[in-house]
Amino acid sequence: MTAFIANIDLAFKTLAPRATDWQSILPEIAVAGLALFCLVQAMLLPKALRYLIPATARVGLCLVIVMSLITPAPWAPSSDLESFSGLLRQNLPFAGVRAVFLFSALLTSFLAAGFLRDRKAAVADYHHVLLVVTAAFMLLAQSNHFVTFFVSLETAAVGLYVLVGYLRRSDASLEAGVKYLVAGGLSSALLLMGIVLVYGSLGAVGVADSLNFTQIGKILALQTAAHTLSPLTLAGVALILGGVAFKLGAFPFHAWIPDVYQGAPTPTTAFLGTASKAAGAFTLVLLATGPFAPLAVKVGPLLAIATVLTLLVGNLGALAATDIKRTLALSGVSHAGFILAAVTATVVVPGITAYDYNAEQIVVFYLLAYLAGTFLTSQALVSLPAAEDHRRPQLALRGLLRRSPMLAASLGFGIGSLAGVPPTVGFIAKLLVLGLLVKAKLWWVLGAALISVAVSIHYYFSILREAVVRPSDDSEDLAPLEISFSARFLIGALATAALLGGLLILA
Amino acid sequence: MEHTSLAHHLILAGLLFALGLTGVLVRRNLLVVYMCLELMLAAATLALVAFSRFNRTMDGAVLVFFVITVAAAEVAVGLALIVALFRQRGTVQSDALTTLRD
Repeated sequence: MTAFIANIDLAFKTLAPRATDWQSILPEIAVAGLALFCLVQAMLLPKALRYLIPATARVGLCLVIVMSLITPAPWAPSSDLESFSGLLRQNLPFAGVRAVFLFSALLTSFLAAGFLRDRKAAVADYHHVLLVVTAAFMLLAQSNHFVTFFVSLETAAVGLYVLVGYLRRSDASLEAGVKYLVAGGLSSALLLMGIVLVYGSLGAVGVADSLNFTQIGKILALQTAAHTLSPLTLAGVALILGGVAFKLGAFPFHAWIPDVYQGAPTPTTAFLGTASKAAGAFTLVLLATGPFAPLAVKVGPLLAIATVLTLLVGNLGALAATDIKRTLALSGVSHAGFILAAVTATVVVPGITAYDYNAEQIVVFYLLAYLAGTFLTSQALVSLPAAEDHRRPQLALRGLLRRSPMLAASLGFGIGSLAGVPPTVGFIAKLLVLGLLVKAKLWWVLGAALISVAVSIHYYFSILREAVVRPSDDSEDLAPLEISFSARFLIGALATAALLGGLLILA
Repeated sequence: MEHTSLAHHLILAGLLFALGLTGVLVRRNLLVVYMCLELMLAAATLALVAFSRFNRTMDGAVLVFFVITVAAAEVAVGLALIVALFRQRGTVQSDALTTLRD
């Protein structure tokens, strides 16, 4: 008995988190603390001072962004820092990963405050859930063990169900929430079954911890070399990759995207499109180049096929869609295809680089570029007053140039960057991905990517035409739109980033 | 214990999982669909416990606690959404969800 207790004592001493472990997740702790602080403020502040809640959340997020960027060598290809006895591992360009999630949350907060106030929904609760989801995504991107992976993924998913169905008086928002709930629940059940199968089939051959990514990678390498892979393991890997593809919105798990993006409150749509897609992208990179790297011969072709189909399905869907949020949702699917293309390249040719950047860095850069484009476009959409929610969605942006030149400029820069017009960041990001594809000699994928760039020009610019060209049957006379100072500042900053960010990267 | 093997547990878990999956794809009532989703999670949990017991590793048993916690949170949010939808629409049939389309 005493020996048993001594053993447990020893285990606790060796496994106990050290101070450096906590230090490595300081930004995540800060964001979670900020989330709780939003709730405390909502309880304590009188109604007249509630406007302080989004303000403190934004200031806090800015501080966390600064904090996570002033680490030594923030844009290093890989920091590879393991913490909490291997539960977490930062082996991506991690400052960039954090920047994607933090900027996404910050910009969503800018969009959400006014949007929710107009629709008489609580602002504090929205910020609380938004920040919890952000912290969960940041932990997900550094998980190195299926327990942390599953728990942070599900924390984020449950929070997103709330954010999608946030407008309780709106049929569209509730319907989107329920559809997302069923689709998300199904994908997490499949993902969990995959984790169980991998755990069980690898545990049977005597792996000490068959939920740990590093150990899974080692044993899979041995089994691949000896040709002793069990079909149960392969089924598990397929289910796990399917669950991640759902998050990314890649074929064949993209069916939920148009409905959910269309019905969700517009700030949530922007957050889903950027942060949730980024989470899918990062976990796919983590899994495909980490534990499942030994299976590259099997996973590579699968990813290549998924990439081509994702690009085609996204673009054809966007061409056919008439609702602007649906068009943007389906064009997001084709952007997911570009991210998948970069991942495919690094799975097929490990350690591949283009223009001196490795595939992980290019994925981060692509997501940051996509983020700028998405939020510029969404800013134009959220600035339309709540009274116009009932207008036919394809007409929502009609005459935007006359109503507010600033918003039309925002839309123009956003669409330009999403479509990849030189010299915007969107163009540079696409160029980097195409560079990877050429180097990996994935000609089929390259062809699909080029076709999708050409097709996307058509639907992107038909959105812009609606906003700029004065229609001949102009019976509606719409009032000019007022936009706040913070929105002007946001548009200015994002447009500058969209214009100059790409040149900085290539310099 | 002598009469049951890992295979028995896995077959049962597989059947429950397939039952849940079929329910999610076939049924039209959202509450039943949601129960089927939970059934799939329960099936995965059963397989997890069985693997943990027969492989003699504790990690699976620990993951079970997390899965149960996550499932409880998911149910809380999910039921809240379904109830809100019922109040707004007066129905929880998935055929009635036709607001979102092109």
